[in-house]
Amino acid sequence: MIQMNGRHKTVLLFLVAIVFLAAVTVCGWGFSEEAMVTDFSRKDISPGMPYLFGTDWLGRDMFLRTLTGLSMSIRIGILAAGVSSILALLLGTLAATMGKAVDGVITWVIDLVMGIPHILLLILISYAFGKGFKGVVVGVALTHWTSLARVIRGEVLQLKEALYIRTAQKLGVGRWEIAWKHMFPHLFPQFLVGLILMFPHAILHEASITFLGFGLPPEQPAIGIILSESMKYLAMGRWWLALFPGLFLVLTVMLFDVAGENLRKLLDPGSAHK
Amino acid sequence: MKKRVYSILLATVMVMASVAGCNGTGKTGEETETQPAETAGESEKGTVDTRDAVVVAMGPNSEPESGFDPAYGWGAGEHVHEPLIQSTLTVTTTDLTIDYDLATDMQVSEDGLTWTVTIRDDARFTDGEPLTAEDVAFTYNTVKENSSVNDFTMLKEAVATDDTTVEFQMEKPYSIWPYSMAIVGIVPEHAYGPDYGEHPVGSGRYIMKQWDKGQQIIFEANPDYYGEAPKMKQVTVVFMDEDAAYAAALSGQVDLAYTAALYADQTIDGYQLLSYESVDNRGFNLPAEPASIDDNGNTIGNDFTSDVRVRRAINIGINREEMIEHVLNGHGTAAYSICDKMPWYNEEAEVSYDPEGAAALLDEAGWTPGADGIREKDGVRATLNILYSANDSVRQALAADTQNQLRELGIEASIEGVGWDTAYTRALSEPLIWGWGAHTPMELYNIYHTLDGKTAEYSPYSNETVDQYMDEALAATSLEDSYELWKKAQWDGTTGVTQEGDIPWIWLCNIDHLYWAKADLKVADQKLHPHGHGWSIVNNVDQWEWN
Repeated sequence: MIQMNGRHKTVLLFLVAIVFLAAVTVCGWGFSEEAMVTDFSRKDISPGMPYLFGTDWLGRDMFLRTLTGLSMSIRIGILAAGVSSILALLLGTLAATMGKAVDGVITWVIDLVMGIPHILLLILISYAFGKGFKGVVVGVALTHWTSLARVIRGEVLQLKEALYIRTAQKLGVGRWEIAWKHMFPHLFPQFLVGLILMFPHAILHEASITFLGFGLPPEQPAIGIILSESMKYLAMGRWWLALFPGLFLVLTVMLFDVAGENLRKLLDPGSAHK
Repeated sequence: MKKRVYSILLATVMVMASVAGCNGTGKTGEETETQPAETAGESEKGTVDTRDAVVVAMGPNSEPESGFDPAYGWGAGEHVHEPLIQSTLTVTTTDLTIDYDLATDMQVSEDGLTWTVTIRDDARFTDGEPLTAEDVAFTYNTVKENSSVNDFTMLKEAVATDDTTVEFQMEKPYSIWPYSMAIVGIVPEHAYGPDYGEHPVGSGRYIMKQWDKGQQIIFEANPDYYGEAPKMKQVTVVFMDEDAAYAAALSGQVDLAYTAALYADQTIDGYQLLSYESVDNRGFNLPAEPASIDDNGNTIGNDFTSDVRVRRAINIGINREEMIEHVLNGHGTAAYSICDKMPWYNEEAEVSYDPEGAAALLDEAGWTPGADGIREKDGVRATLNILYSANDSVRQALAADTQNQLRELGIEASIEGVGWDTAYTRALSEPLIWGWGAHTPMELYNIYHTLDGKTAEYSPYSNETVDQYMDEALAATSLEDSYELWKKAQWDGTTGVTQEGDIPWIWLCNIDHLYWAKADLKVADQKLHPHGHGWSIVNNVDQWEWN
């Protein structure tokens, strides 16, 4: 038995989560053709071999559909969370460094976006961009940056007062150089963890608006579509069409959280060496 | 970190719950929805005559948005049916020819421009006022003026010449006017206003007693009805989604519930599955002109389907029986036209499944199989993107099965769910799965006749001869003559819209309308249901009985 200290455990958990998510993403991507195939000769099969999650009434393999759906969700999540966090970084930094007026405007925008219920804004933006992949990504990206932007703004405000920054200023180092050389490395862990913790939200919101019919079209293997279609089958007792994809969605979301939390522990000087 | 995981888990559950909650607005409503139905049934059980009430479940889309006003689509809407509350001049019979309701006689002038209809003198509105020719004229002038749903532009004016005679002056000859007269409910001039839709007064078999919006409508038999007294004294119509209707039948809360092929292999104790043939057809358009860009930047036409041999190959390369088995669990009939089994249907439209013939046609058109089985011509692959309405699972399945069948012909098809906001425009260049079928030959006109002599409205197509037959059919002096001309418009021996003709639309199937009905409910014989799985079933609810 290998003795593991806290750090080993953290690293291991992080790696397991990342490897699993990467595997789902890659597999799902690889099977995206097969997941679209309809074959009426194999419709309505209960879970078992070779169809782990069974098939639906169009004869689609629900395991492959779930995998591809999650993969698509993760890719949408990465894209949306990536854009969203860069937006947050830019606006957060601008708010903290560019003076009162800019700060006022940006804080106002943050409050405005936060003031509107997420899902409403998402539906609106997705619909305006013609739904589909583009609509979902833009919608999620434009609604999820606010809290991270706030965190970064606060962090930068604090940093501005830090002694080493003030010293650098006194030494005549330029604004951009300070921001890039002295502030960014300090912000990076916050930023990275914020980015990863944004994934679960992005994925869940993608699933929600697709479930409600404002996201991807129904022939696409998306987790929201799978879940909304499965509602019809519940009355007929075909619970597995809802349960397994639902469980997988929860699992994925939780693993992202595990990855994010462990990464934070590794990067945070306070807990990195426990 | 544990706390964090729990909180995320909790958030997940909450999001899912809220999502379910959003979707469930109909669903939470459904419980309250079914309750009155239940109490209605129970209170009936308490009275002496227990067996003269019926509870019918329909889809949420069947609830008339603007109420029971014929000018805003009640009866005379997208989905035609008998208006129950109001009387009509004529009715369609079970074989879809014309019979009389209020009318006692009708004559059309030689030039087809004047219809003279005499009406019975014993009909009264439920507020006691007699129904006169004035009311009839008022009704028709009102729908002509206001109808937001149906086209009444062929009518110039309706004039009452005496108490029981009304004269319709037409803008142009319109031989199938009796079919229009079968769907327009007569409203009282003295009691008509902006709120008529919510408080309808008519002379029909039923009185609208109560309307709880989003939930149910209760009808009671009209005690002063001039015709045979309705056997069902109370009719309650509740509105619920397919799965809710199924659940309501499972728990015995409704006497008759609409259902879909998806549920057809289930069994419910005490219920039987009723299946009615329909002309509720599904098919797709194949743009018959090569692609071009119009003034608005929209693509019109499709290079691949503009070749008539390709369209013919697709028509005979589709195995309709297999598709019905796959998608509808056998609850449908093969469709070859928009008007199968109607008096104006031309049987020449029927084709048999012939994959070899289809392959030969494609070969002849220059589309030869490539390395992966997909046909090619001059380096272009044979591809087709089939659109379907995104919230219609049957159309999705039909699109998916068409996709699979086209693959066997060597055509690479993809499917795409779209909303109706973009579907009409996109259908001008790509096939879209449509649903049609009504009790009037005007459907043929709407689909195949050109607008302003250029191209047909829903899919690029034009044929002067077909146009001419339909114009002649409308100008015919008798319905029988017009039927022959409508048939010729489909195929006259040399040209038309069938396999040997231009075949700009492929018809797949007529969907049987399915219902769960209590085993002891005797539903009267149905006439062929039109498009719309809603009010048609209660056209003759007055003749239903309990065994």
